Amino acid sequence: MIQPFITGLIEVALWSAIFTSTGLMSMNGFPRESYLAYALWAAFFSRIGSNWMYEFRMIDEIETGSVNSVLARPISFYEYYLGQFMGYKLITSVLSLIAPILIVAVISGPTKLERLPLAFSLVMYYLIFVHTMSFIVASFAFYFNRVSSFTMAKNIGLWMLSGELFPLDLAPEPFRGWLLAMPFCNAVYRPVGYLTGRLEIGSIVDGFVSSTLGLVVIAPIAVMIWKGGRRRYAGTGA
Amino acid sequence: MNPSKSTLRKYSGLLVAFFRASAMADLEYRLNIVMKVFTDIIWYVAQLSVFEVLFKHTNSISGWTLESMRVFMSVLFLVDAFWMLIFQENLDRFSDKVRRGDLDMVLAKPVNAQFMMSVQKMSTPYLVNVVLTFAWMIYSLTELPGGFEAARLLTLLISVPCGLAIAYGLRFVFSATALIFARAENIVYVWYQLYRLAMRPDTVYPPWLRYLVLTLLPVGFIASVPTQLILGLQTLSFLALAILVAAIVLWLSTLYWRFAMRFYSSASS
Amino acid sequence: MSSNVIETRGLTRVYQTYRKPEGVLGSLKGFFNREYESKVALHPTELSIEGGQIIGLVGANGAGKTTLLKLLCGLIEPTGGEARVLGFNPAERKSEYLRQVSILLGQKNQLWWDIPAADSFDLLARIYDLDRVDAKKRVRELAEMLQCTELLHTQLRRLSLGERMKMEIIGSLLHRPRVLFLDEPTIGLDIVAQTTIREFMDDYVKRERPTIILTSHYMDDISRLADRLLLISQGNIVYDGTVDGFMGTVEPMQKLTMSIATPPSGGVEIAPGVVLTPGQMQFEAEMPSRFIAPAIQKIMSLSSVQDLKIEEANFEDVIRKFLEKESRDRKARDRFPT
Repeated sequence: MIQPFITGLIEVALWSAIFTSTGLMSMNGFPRESYLAYALWAAFFSRIGSNWMYEFRMIDEIETGSVNSVLARPISFYEYYLGQFMGYKLITSVLSLIAPILIVAVISGPTKLERLPLAFSLVMYYLIFVHTMSFIVASFAFYFNRVSSFTMAKNIGLWMLSGELFPLDLAPEPFRGWLLAMPFCNAVYRPVGYLTGRLEIGSIVDGFVSSTLGLVVIAPIAVMIWKGGRRRYAGTGA
Repeated sequence: MNPSKSTLRKYSGLLVAFFRASAMADLEYRLNIVMKVFTDIIWYVAQLSVFEVLFKHTNSISGWTLESMRVFMSVLFLVDAFWMLIFQENLDRFSDKVRRGDLDMVLAKPVNAQFMMSVQKMSTPYLVNVVLTFAWMIYSLTELPGGFEAARLLTLLISVPCGLAIAYGLRFVFSATALIFARAENIVYVWYQLYRLAMRPDTVYPPWLRYLVLTLLPVGFIASVPTQLILGLQTLSFLALAILVAAIVLWLSTLYWRFAMRFYSSASS
Repeated sequence: MSSNVIETRGLTRVYQTYRKPEGVLGSLKGFFNREYESKVALHPTELSIEGGQIIGLVGANGAGKTTLLKLLCGLIEPTGGEARVLGFNPAERKSEYLRQVSILLGQKNQLWWDIPAADSFDLLARIYDLDRVDAKKRVRELAEMLQCTELLHTQLRRLSLGERMKMEIIGSLLHRPRVLFLDEPTIGLDIVAQTTIREFMDDYVKRERPTIILTSHYMDDISRLADRLLLISQGNIVYDGTVDGFMGTVEPMQKLTMSIATPPSGGVEIAPGVVLTPGQMQFEAEMPSRFIAPAIQKIMSLSSVQDLKIEEANFEDVIRKFLEKESRDRKARDRFPT
């Protein structure tokens, strides 16, 4: 409970330190307060948009071979864990948003709270993509042992591209264009940018489109790796 | 034979032996090694990108230029690589080891238990990170517009071990708390937050926070002070201060360990 | 100072446990005002153990075996009384003390999982300040006794449970401990591994005469190895004496089996209440030990007796009977206090 508070406060402290020390009043056309609010919300959205626990559980089921009991159930492995993951995120995220709402009220940071439902929906939709990535990593457990190190690498990669570190529009071209074209910024940059008034509704629409396109690209890869893994698995009779 | 000298020889011998055994164990999982190093490179890039981007919009952040900030980040990465190499795995698994009773096996040995719990299993893949980050530090020093005094690199021989000792002592307190409370895993997150304060130069903080990271929560000595010493931004007296603070933090960590052990030996069954 | 290796005076251990209240409201109340309850794991205990003895420590789960063991090797501190082992207070955990003792917990590994046992032994040699060449020689000797020399260079995780236990045993004997605490050294092992380890211990003890405190679920371990038996029940030592003497307190039974080629035509009473019926070729009966000698005399007078065998009755049964009798007695005492 306390942890998100501390995270948020440290983010704000770091950004306000940067502004105070540089003597800048605004950066890229946005005032200091906008960055503080961005940093605060980003710390929370970043946690929502990542998957550790359920990915480890999926890996564990495949590594220990208990995946077979899941496959015997009517819903498939993918759907079973998608349901679990989304349900878990829905509940914990709603609770974890209480902290930044309170902090924003105290520091009166620029936040359009009426935009929260739409920003939140974008993240929830993006979680399907996140889950599919996790499914791919977990499927590697058919091929290698100790796949949990893949989780680490993938999640750090996603985190770097999400926009938690800084608003992605600060990045120089051509990086800026690349970062915004990929779906990863739907975890933090797009929802938080929209929430804090940095972005408008069009960006949210772009977000839904890029999440969908991302899914279209990785879904066949996921199917391929999963099927290959299952064959391998059955082949060794393990 | 001088007893303190033979103790020193025993413990440095043990360090080498632990390193050797850890390397053998780590080499059993080669893919894991590659992934660990790869993950850290992504992390380095992410951290660097923050300042690369910020300096597109400003020339200096409280006196730090892009070039000197790169040096700061490289020193941070170097200390962090040593940290991961020696302590990280041991302290991360600390509460696990207590719960599974492995601590009992350590306590039954004629070795300092705090020492053994802290360095027994090193993560030898991070040796690669030490080499990479050291190279990156030298490169970023040579890129400094005004050049740099190579002799100042010698301060690292003292400031980096002091920084590591401080990081270790603070982190150890969080781990040792597992002896007092059965479910203390979450308290480690407080440490992660504290460590984040070490990831920026202390001079960017407001005065009160800056004072805090150089005194009560001395994370400023982990990377910020060593960097300022090699850049000549601080007088050598800070080196003496670093030694003093490191000694105090280490001493406090042993006191806390003894305090926490009292709970363990009176509560465990 | 006495010549005893282990000596305790009123050694006691009491735990404070937090009583978890029921329900949310109770939990909330407990958060502010915790109720603790004391549980006595070991009642004041007096023990004197001479050097070179093997002590079998037996009792049900939770009876206080492990508590006593941990107190003696210094892993936990007593809440009352004191213990002396080799003249040291174990709870101080002095290096000089730890160097002379060893603890082996059957369900825990002290050796590294991912490296060969030989390399773990090398680490242990450093930890105990042993001469490396001597230590290598000792590993070879012990491994030969345990018949596992060829496994020394295999990673521990690739070994079977029994093979791993042999390695753990070598590790715990490397520094020639004078006092050895063995907690369930054969737990979960197959019969072959159990027997090898038991025979090894027997052999080892004859060679090096260490003092051993041994707990085990397998009574064979105890009856084969122990010179003296401590039976512990609900934190009290309820029996302290020889294994044979213990059998005496609960009317030890022995099992007699034989076969007869030409059975006698009439019935023969071999012992009070035990009758060999006419024409019976196979005979098997359990009887109190004191009847055995007269019974054998009677049997010898018969013709064509083959395969006469007398066995000790099951040790575990005996202990169970003892504990049942003990608790009956205690209940009776509690009900009619004198």
